[in-house]
Amino acid sequence: QQPTGADRSLAGDAACTRCHDESETRPILSMYKTRHGVKADARTPGCQSCHGASDAHIRNVGGTASKRTLPDVTFGVRGKSDPQQQSGTCLGCHEGSNRALWLGSQHESRDIPCAGCHTVHAAVDPVLTKLSQPDVCYGCHKTQRAQTHLISTHPLAAAKMACADCHNPHGSATDHLLSKASVNDTCFTCHAEKRGPFLWEHAPVADDCTNCHTPHGSTAAPLLKARVPWLCQECHSGDHANAVNSGANLQDGVVTTAGGLNPLANSGARAQLAARACLNCHVLVHGSNHPAGAKFQR
Amino acid sequence: AESAPSDEVKALTTPGNAFEVGLGGVSDDSFKFGEYNGLEDQGAFLIGSLALHGGGRYNSDDATRWTLTATNLGLSTRKVAAEYGRQGVFRVTLGYDELRRNRSDSYTTPYLGAGSDVLTLPSSWLVPVVPRLNANANARGLSAAVSTSSALVNGVLTAPTPAQLTTANALLAADLPLFAQHDLYTTRSRVEAGISYLAPRQWEIAVNANRMDKTGAKPMGSVTRITGADISSILADPIDQTTDQFTVTLAKRTRQDFLQLSYYGSKFTNHIDSLTWTNWANPASSMTMSSAPSNQAHTLSLNAGHDFTRSTRVVLTGAYGRNTQNAVFLTDTGTPLVPTTSLDGLVVTQTYNLKLTSRPTNRLNLGLAYKFDERDNRTAVHTFAFYDANEPAGTTAINSAFSAALGLPASRLASNANVNASRPYSRRMNQATADATLRLSPGQSLRGAYEWQSLDRWCEGSWIACADADNTKENTWSLEWRANLLATLQTRLSLSRSERDVGHYNEDAFLALVPMANVAPSSAIGGVSAYAYMLANALNGYGPTAGLVSTTGNQNLYFPLNNALANTAYANQNRISELAGLRRYNMADRTRDRIKAVAEWQPTEVLALHANADYRKDDFTQSRYGLIDSRSWSANFEGSVSATEDLSVTLFYTFENQRARSAGNTYTANSTATAVNGFTAIPGGCFPTIALRNASNKIDPCLDWSTSTRDRTSTYGFTADRKNLAGGKLALGLELLLSRTASDNDVTGGNYVNNPLAVTGAPAGTLAAYYLAAAPLPTVKTQRWDAMVNARYALTPASTLRFDYRYAWLRASDYAYEGMQFGGLAGVLPTSETAPHYSLHVASLSYQYRF
Repeated sequence: QQPTGADRSLAGDAACTRCHDESETRPILSMYKTRHGVKADARTPGCQSCHGASDAHIRNVGGTASKRTLPDVTFGVRGKSDPQQQSGTCLGCHEGSNRALWLGSQHESRDIPCAGCHTVHAAVDPVLTKLSQPDVCYGCHKTQRAQTHLISTHPLAAAKMACADCHNPHGSATDHLLSKASVNDTCFTCHAEKRGPFLWEHAPVADDCTNCHTPHGSTAAPLLKARVPWLCQECHSGDHANAVNSGANLQDGVVTTAGGLNPLANSGARAQLAARACLNCHVLVHGSNHPAGAKFQR
Repeated sequence: AESAPSDEVKALTTPGNAFEVGLGGVSDDSFKFGEYNGLEDQGAFLIGSLALHGGGRYNSDDATRWTLTATNLGLSTRKVAAEYGRQGVFRVTLGYDELRRNRSDSYTTPYLGAGSDVLTLPSSWLVPVVPRLNANANARGLSAAVSTSSALVNGVLTAPTPAQLTTANALLAADLPLFAQHDLYTTRSRVEAGISYLAPRQWEIAVNANRMDKTGAKPMGSVTRITGADISSILADPIDQTTDQFTVTLAKRTRQDFLQLSYYGSKFTNHIDSLTWTNWANPASSMTMSSAPSNQAHTLSLNAGHDFTRSTRVVLTGAYGRNTQNAVFLTDTGTPLVPTTSLDGLVVTQTYNLKLTSRPTNRLNLGLAYKFDERDNRTAVHTFAFYDANEPAGTTAINSAFSAALGLPASRLASNANVNASRPYSRRMNQATADATLRLSPGQSLRGAYEWQSLDRWCEGSWIACADADNTKENTWSLEWRANLLATLQTRLSLSRSERDVGHYNEDAFLALVPMANVAPSSAIGGVSAYAYMLANALNGYGPTAGLVSTTGNQNLYFPLNNALANTAYANQNRISELAGLRRYNMADRTRDRIKAVAEWQPTEVLALHANADYRKDDFTQSRYGLIDSRSWSANFEGSVSATEDLSVTLFYTFENQRARSAGNTYTANSTATAVNGFTAIPGGCFPTIALRNASNKIDPCLDWSTSTRDRTSTYGFTADRKNLAGGKLALGLELLLSRTASDNDVTGGNYVNNPLAVTGAPAGTLAAYYLAAAPLPTVKTQRWDAMVNARYALTPASTLRFDYRYAWLRASDYAYEGMQFGGLAGVLPTSETAPHYSLHVASLSYQYRF
């Protein structure tokens, strides 16, 4: 809905564009390249729809030649209008849908306005393209930025994935602002082969993918929270899962040279520790649909 | 800017067209560098991208707009998207997206048919052995250094005989040439289409569909016990899958209300049902493993909200989903009891969330929320019998009482059969949250929140509770203080604590897998089953925490010599009970603390500084074994300088330290054995003789072990951008990145190993065994450099020459790869895979034209 009294016509815009013209170094007129600038769509705003009538700014009431009185509503993070007022302006048209839970959400409650992430005047808003969206998020989420440079990651750097593929920054009923109803539902949108249901379910998998995986990056592939076999031994201590796995069990570990008398031909690393460790044999850890797959070997 | 627009104004206000063509080159092959970006191959690549826009201008009466964009046309990461619509009325979108994910370019295998679902060995394949040792299949025999060297035989270092050398060299000559390298990668292509229509009365209808095809191969382990021993191969697992997803959304919004109804459907089709491979230890035998089953999921969801006032809103979201799977089961000689031909699996998911938010004054925000989230697995429980990894059936029959309970003839199952029941896991979460944010002053606020959560877990139809914790309750308190201490300084400090309580941790939950634990074996006195005996004697599967005693009757049947529950007592080939005191961390009592501090200082328009620190700690308060605790902290520092509108520089550093401690115990069975080939002494350890150790195998404190893992990551970054050089024609960019990680694992404790010299006839005084202390694992390291330079030179107002250069360098060390080399593991066929590393240059020159 247009604010009462807002003149969204080009004539109304002219009150602004006669000064904020092509000489501006920041994108102003490029708004007309965007959906907001399509005047033939009666829903689109004019300058004053969002910035207010701004008479004091236009007439520079109380301002100086060098420091002009600001418009009624200014957008951005620092030194701008109250974030609630900024976001309220946007939500006047963009309420509902995936912004239904904006009020009280992590970002809203930290006074991050829409313009903290969105650059609405730009022909292409960086936060709306996979290539540049992560950089916008990394502006605050810097540890996640570092994690995406680890040896095991999702394809964010290749612009084949973006933060919003999993997260809804406008608010969510799911922890970590996930866009789906659960962690697993979010993962299954790309990894449907792990959805099952399987004949033999692995309890932590059905419970929550992040019991074993960390999504932004890991030193242990594939995106594991800990290296195998220790990740497995955090839950399994029966049968051969109870054994200590240490450097002594490697190819050149002391276990292979007991008393210094066990030569190469007799020695060998422990299979549960080397190569794929537990996954040398227990392969289908996400679940098996084979009648003999209770131990995830079939 | 409206009338008589200049070319400059036109360029600023009219969506333009552009294309880019060029050529690039990569100096070296690297699967890891090109893991996701399509640049895995050395040589030239084409650069091609396109952006076309059309339709009415901003100031016309025509709201029609269309776009066609294409990027990375010369690479396996190409993407094409098209859109046509009349803004405010409808929009149609089409898209194609491709991604190649590289898995391994160092994988070798002797198997024929890599990439297909049947893997066979060449007829010339000889079963590898180490002739000096014995005639058993041994993959280490594929290493000349192993198979032709002296070996300890009966305590004597003995060189291979000429005949043994001939055998060793013959198999090396026959087998090594059969190992061929295969590039393992998967390709994902995605086609999508969508249409949205803005109907009268503010109704909006949107339909989206996409199909994702995934093909290729990835390395995957496999195992068979068909020859008695565990024989593993790392196979090329073929991938040929299709996922179709559909979304239909109907939405309406008024000034005070909104309603959104939607349907989401996902259909996963696996075009490969199974993978069959030949046993390298006995090429006459082959095995079959199942692939991920085709499945479907359908979800209806509701999203509705009402604004009571401009500052008070209630939002209800709900979703009801059904996930089904009914792929036909694979059967073979290893599956003697399969009660149904397919699973007919059904999981019903329900999620409902009610949230009330209000801002009674400009200084106060209030929120109340309730969430219900359930995964109800309604799949029936069935009992199956199988032999581990195609192990041949034994010659003796399973206990007659078990056969009778299963309604099977006495000879149907051998004593080494596993009789397991499926466990369809369900969970239900109830969660209530309350939060309040008070703005103490402009720029200063205090936020407090409380969350209560109750989580139930169960398996419908299991004969006994299957969840280690059938209910957990968690309370979380959090407090956050935000303040702009100065006009230029913003700070935030947040604290939170969660306490998760497990009313009763059920150490008998594992019995849900083994229904024969509820059936009295024919030899049980008084018809007492294993479970009944455990209940009567207050024991769990670990049994008495005690040393050796001679046992009789049912005690000897179920917990002989005070050991853990005997596998034969519940018809399972593995000891699946856990250590007493082990708590699975996702269901264990836990205290979680988190502290986070953030400071952002922008002293001038030119300079901006950021620092934050984040500390997390999880203590699993009741866990003696398993994950004990984990702690992590990270710190970020970033500074950016915008010296002018044309020059900006950013420098950042991130450090992350993650630690975790877990514990276990290498207990073995108490036994009456007193010597190893007549020798008795053990140096080190907790017991000086074989007899004393074996009498205490289950309570030997020297068998306790713990690991302390630590990941340290440092990431350094620098970027610089300079615009308006050369009279405004040239823009330069520089980006440097260094990422270094070190993963350590300190292990305490140890284990016993028999002295290989303790053989019959060895000199008196020979030690029987050694206690070998655990040793730390080698540090796993990764170091990665990236240096990128880009330049854009405007040839004309409409055309730009673009140059990009990147130097990328990676070194990784990981001891896990040692086991993949020839001579590494006895039971695992080597693949020669190596840790990723690269040092390469990528340069490209392209021409961009806008029209």
